[in-house]
Amino acid sequence: MEAGRARLPDRTWTRALARRRRALYLSSPIGLGHAQRDVSIADELRRIHPDLEIDWLAQHPVTTVLEARGERVHAMSAELASESAHITAESSEHDLNAFQAIRRMDEILVANFMVFHDVVETGAYDLVIGDEAWDVDHHLHENPDLKRTAFAWMTDFVGWLPMPSGGEREAFLTADYNAEMIEHVERFPRIRDRAIFVGEPDDIVPDDFGPGLPSIRDWTERHFAFSGYVTGFDPTPLIERREELRRELGYQSDERVVIVTVGGSGVGEALLRRVIDAYPDAARRVNGLRMIAVAGPRIDPALLKAPNGVEVRAYVPELYKHLAACDLAVVQGGLTTTMELAAARRPFLYFPLRNHFEQTRHVRHRLERYGAGRHMDYATSDPEVIAEAIAAEIDRPVDWRPVESDGAARAAALIAPLI
Amino acid sequence: MVRAAPRTVSTPPPAAGKAVRPEQTRARYPDLEGIAERDGGRIGYEVYGRGDPTIMFVPPWSIVHSRIWKAQIPDFARRHRVIAWDARGNGRSDRPREPEAHNDEALAADLLAVLDATHTDSAVLVGLSGAAVPAIIAASEHPERILGLVLVSPSVPLGRRRTERVVPFDEVLDTEEGWAKHNIHFWRRDFTSYLEFFFGEAFNEPHSTKSIEDAVGYGQSTDPETLGSTIYGTGPGADAFLAMCRLLRCPALVIHGDCDHISDVSRGIELSAAIPGARLELLHGSGHCPNARDPVRVNLLIREFIRSLRALP
Repeated sequence: MEAGRARLPDRTWTRALARRRRALYLSSPIGLGHAQRDVSIADELRRIHPDLEIDWLAQHPVTTVLEARGERVHAMSAELASESAHITAESSEHDLNAFQAIRRMDEILVANFMVFHDVVETGAYDLVIGDEAWDVDHHLHENPDLKRTAFAWMTDFVGWLPMPSGGEREAFLTADYNAEMIEHVERFPRIRDRAIFVGEPDDIVPDDFGPGLPSIRDWTERHFAFSGYVTGFDPTPLIERREELRRELGYQSDERVVIVTVGGSGVGEALLRRVIDAYPDAARRVNGLRMIAVAGPRIDPALLKAPNGVEVRAYVPELYKHLAACDLAVVQGGLTTTMELAAARRPFLYFPLRNHFEQTRHVRHRLERYGAGRHMDYATSDPEVIAEAIAAEIDRPVDWRPVESDGAARAAALIAPLI
Repeated sequence: MVRAAPRTVSTPPPAAGKAVRPEQTRARYPDLEGIAERDGGRIGYEVYGRGDPTIMFVPPWSIVHSRIWKAQIPDFARRHRVIAWDARGNGRSDRPREPEAHNDEALAADLLAVLDATHTDSAVLVGLSGAAVPAIIAASEHPERILGLVLVSPSVPLGRRRTERVVPFDEVLDTEEGWAKHNIHFWRRDFTSYLEFFFGEAFNEPHSTKSIEDAVGYGQSTDPETLGSTIYGTGPGADAFLAMCRLLRCPALVIHGDCDHISDVSRGIELSAAIPGARLELLHGSGHCPNARDPVRVNLLIREFIRSLRALP
């Protein structure tokens, strides 16, 4: 061979003790919230292990958050099939049967697991962190021989719960899915090296997994460690500098600011329209009312007809700051946004999506434990009801339980010993 | 020793009278869809991805259509050109009611017609159940075009016929229990119940509700008269078939579950013994459609087989 001639190796291998610590992080793209909490857990992990290299196997909208922070998104992420597009396809006007939607995502979950499998086969990772990465958790339990790294599983709810509209059949199916999950975990405890419930035991719903199955709380306490809630940001400075923050964001002291936000999917359009329709009535009840409606990436702001006094924005960077500065927020029943508001100590109205077991059962249970927010029923809330609720809640005293702010550090401390 | 899979307990059926739901989101959509024509028949196909070798998923009995491969297509389309087609009688293909249209020879000719229509010189064939005989006929008649055979749960005239399945198809029976549902009069009365029974047998692994629902939906895309005409389709006898298998020269992989209630595992075992050099991958505890029920394992076995073809001279 000619000296100096470039030649790529057919394969490379790094000696064990010459390796950096490497983790592959999967953050669920269903809802915008996982990304924020996962990057803060990643930061805490890097604080414990400064040499840790984290790759993200991620898709839209998680990649938006990651790219903005300069995180390393694995090139194979481009091969993932879109979960969020599927969720949008499964939803209709303020309605998403979340259990059936995840169940009907089985093709996407297999396809994405195969991508994951290829990534870990060649990536020399020490650890995989899966924040509600259903594909990885399910298919590793189905194929335990394919586990190649330590695995940390995270979730903020345990247990599929049936919705009344699904009748006996859905009750049977959710119980069957729960039973399979329980069998998986009990038969293969070696798959989840660490299982973290993002919350406290009291956040767990009081239900059973189904007829003849254990209590969700008892079982979860036996099989999970608890990190407390992970806010993804420290709310304390925001609470302390709220007046300053309002000035920075352009909110006048005599304005009463309502922010309406419906998450990253297209599901929220109907709620957004209805709250916008409530504005004139609400403005008569509340002096100086200013409404900001955040359309998000999948709703065209041009199609929302907003009256004077309502500003429609496609995207608001650092939305959490606006939520911390506002007087009242109107949101769906998703966990991240409602808990951000609870943590930032702002009053809010929340409308769980119809037939969404997580929003109507798990999240509501948690919010009621904190005593934060006012639950609203989309079906019975016409614009007048919404206007009344805005007027009633905007001056509500902030007297609910504070949200813990050390969740990311606790989660990282639970994961760090695996590497 | 064959271990029996735990039987599924009786389950509340999906809400009656509900319209069939729209197809769920796919992980990948075809780059090309078309219709191959042969002898006046129309065969719907889809083409995905690029890369050699082309992989063709061959349809089993037209009680299902090509979505039965939904767990394979997106994965293989990442590296290969993939073709999937519907057997006549379901999916985007036509609904002939002449038994001759459903003979194994006719299915093999349809397979070649799809290869021609998609300008495919050669392909690896992956077939489920009843796809095995047409795939083997195609490989034996056109060895230059078939690079390899993957036969999942092959339903072939070898091994043991499950005697419980032998019921008169067109006689009026005085029972509807079990396999007595495999009867045209029952199909005309309650086709959906038959589909639920059949796929409950096919997917007898615990926690198979989703696979069963999917497959019942595929079955509802055909009708009792069309599917009934397939029952009279003919194929080669055991001796002729065995002789054909022994002359095959292409690499072959047989994947079979020992809890297959539709096509007994002895068929896969005897078939792999008959094809020179064939590999047998036995799946303990698996039913008739491991490609749907244990897709990760099956995909990895198919990948390994394709890699082994590349290693050949």
